[in-house]
Amino acid sequence: MVRIKYLIIAVLVVVFGVWGIWAAIHFVQSEEKKVKKQFHLLSEWASKETGENTFAMAQKIKNVGTLFAGHCELKADLISFSGRYTPEEISSYAARARFPFSNLSLKFYDFNVAFPEEGVAKVSLTAKLTGRSTTGEDMDETHELECVLKKMEKKWLFSELEVVEVLKK
Amino acid sequence: MRFRQFFFPSLTIRFLIRASLVALFAYLFFGHLCTPLLIKGHSMEPTYRDGSVNFCWKLRYLFSEAKRYDVVAVRFAGNKVMLLKRVVAVAGEGIEFRNGELFVDGKKIDEPYVRYPCNWNLPLRKVEKDCVYVVGDNRNMPIENHHFGQAPMKRIIGGPLW
Repeated sequence: MVRIKYLIIAVLVVVFGVWGIWAAIHFVQSEEKKVKKQFHLLSEWASKETGENTFAMAQKIKNVGTLFAGHCELKADLISFSGRYTPEEISSYAARARFPFSNLSLKFYDFNVAFPEEGVAKVSLTAKLTGRSTTGEDMDETHELECVLKKMEKKWLFSELEVVEVLKK
Repeated sequence: MRFRQFFFPSLTIRFLIRASLVALFAYLFFGHLCTPLLIKGHSMEPTYRDGSVNFCWKLRYLFSEAKRYDVVAVRFAGNKVMLLKRVVAVAGEGIEFRNGELFVDGKKIDEPYVRYPCNWNLPLRKVEKDCVYVVGDNRNMPIENHHFGQAPMKRIIGGPLW
């Protein structure tokens, strides 16, 4: 009888342990999915298709700003765009950057997401920007990015974004 | 019969184990030790041509460090994008370009691999600790358009197989 009691306790401990581990993994994975979704949205809204109409362009540009925190720190020495910017300033920069291109595609790869503390996600990834300018020049740029996203009002927002400078002249 | 057996083998346990081992070896070898490279760009011409294929041997610097004249693969983004460049100076050395000629610690360095004309000028700078200075072999372009500079040693993931 006593053995059965211990056996039941052991089974319960194992079941709750497995459930706890599963819940923790599921929580991290779901948060990771939410973080990655922000990048997919940024990719969708920053990209430009040939013949994009003005309304679609305005909507995309407006949406880009909603992905960024109040004051986002950007460090991109390669394109001389470093400092703290508001979502409106980032939207405005995105509009200017997209303008000379007839089509533009921004894709993200090699995600490495870590949660160093609650409500903070550090993401290391590869960004690939391809497109063609209105003058017919092709662009194909790949860079490594280091990003910090913060959870604000249940939304993950870009708080820091750095283009990693691999070679320093 | 042997020809038929080679192309249409019987699916025996022995065959499946052998095929699995070959697949595992190929995955480990070509996925992690000797990864295929497709060279894009002209920065290492004429040593390495645009569109040519090579392999990155990742054990090259397992027991040694990159030294001058070595061609190295520098991890640029993720695990798939790398830069193929030549080491021209190591940590602690001072590097400069004067009218297209490379000077390290004030001494002119002979560079037989540079075949195209170059007129670069770059003021003296010292290579930081745990870093190397890498440049492409093709310098027949404005200095602003060439991707070169100081790279941390930890980003060097190997060298081309040939």
